[in-house]
Amino acid sequence: MATDYLERGAMAGVAGGLVYGLFVATVGNAFTAGLETFEHSHGGGGPVVSELTTTVASIGGGVLWGLLFGVAAFGMVYFFLEPAIPGSGATKRLALAGAGFLTVSGAPWLVLPPQPPGVEQALGTETRLAWYAGLMALGALVAVLAGLAYQRTARHHTAVRLGAMALPLALLAVPVALAPANPVHGDVPAALVAAYRWTVVFGQLVLWATIAGVHAWLGDSDTPATDDLDYPATAD
Amino acid sequence: MQEDTDTKHVADSVHDRIERARASLTGPQIAIAVALVAALGFTLLFVQDPMLHDSLHNFRHSAGITCH
Repeated sequence: MATDYLERGAMAGVAGGLVYGLFVATVGNAFTAGLETFEHSHGGGGPVVSELTTTVASIGGGVLWGLLFGVAAFGMVYFFLEPAIPGSGATKRLALAGAGFLTVSGAPWLVLPPQPPGVEQALGTETRLAWYAGLMALGALVAVLAGLAYQRTARHHTAVRLGAMALPLALLAVPVALAPANPVHGDVPAALVAAYRWTVVFGQLVLWATIAGVHAWLGDSDTPATDDLDYPATAD
Repeated sequence: MQEDTDTKHVADSVHDRIERARASLTGPQIAIAVALVAALGFTLLFVQDPMLHDSLHNFRHSAGITCH
């Protein structure tokens, strides 16, 4: 039964990945290339691979990005947390997708927003990686707390429950207030940076929503979750 | 084995799922799944080999991963 979940998660992930690969092919590649025209000094010479390689590999990377989310979130996490995730059907999937987005992207970006190419950040890579990892953990914690808040308010009105779910989000203000300043240096105009960032945000949202939608469309297990204990587990 | 699906479904909990995974999955199955996720994440995010890193340049900027 668990492999059943893994399979559906992977299928939804590939579907989402193909859509996201299309996004990288049509928007991501061209947008990044355009932003690179603002890049002046690129210490250490240019990229070691051809532009075509980057274009194709990045599209492939987008597909694998979807597969990764599909397998990890909908193949594994969904199997364990399905009984605890609020809602049913597509709502349940969207709730998990929202939690996934918050964990992987949303929370970290509050402190370390996406940067266009050629922008130098004051904080070192190691420091940023540590902050990114910590913020991912906090994002996951906030998502879990939101789920618990929803469960604990089971007898209340839906509006109350949604309000309770929103409360843990306040925790995200803590790292935003505590994070060290990270002044950036680059020649990309601020409006273009904003457009780039929101493009990235919408790209990730489309990816998660597609995985959730396809996963819901694939439906629940044909066999009830409890069936498989009736059979001896066979190693093969 | 379909008859008591509903009663069982009500009792379904995260704890049950963990028990179920323990009963139905073998070690190698879990290892393969975890390894797949780890390999994908590592390849896309952390490999610093210039060839692979530069190849995925546009992907990283499109996905908002800019840890370089």
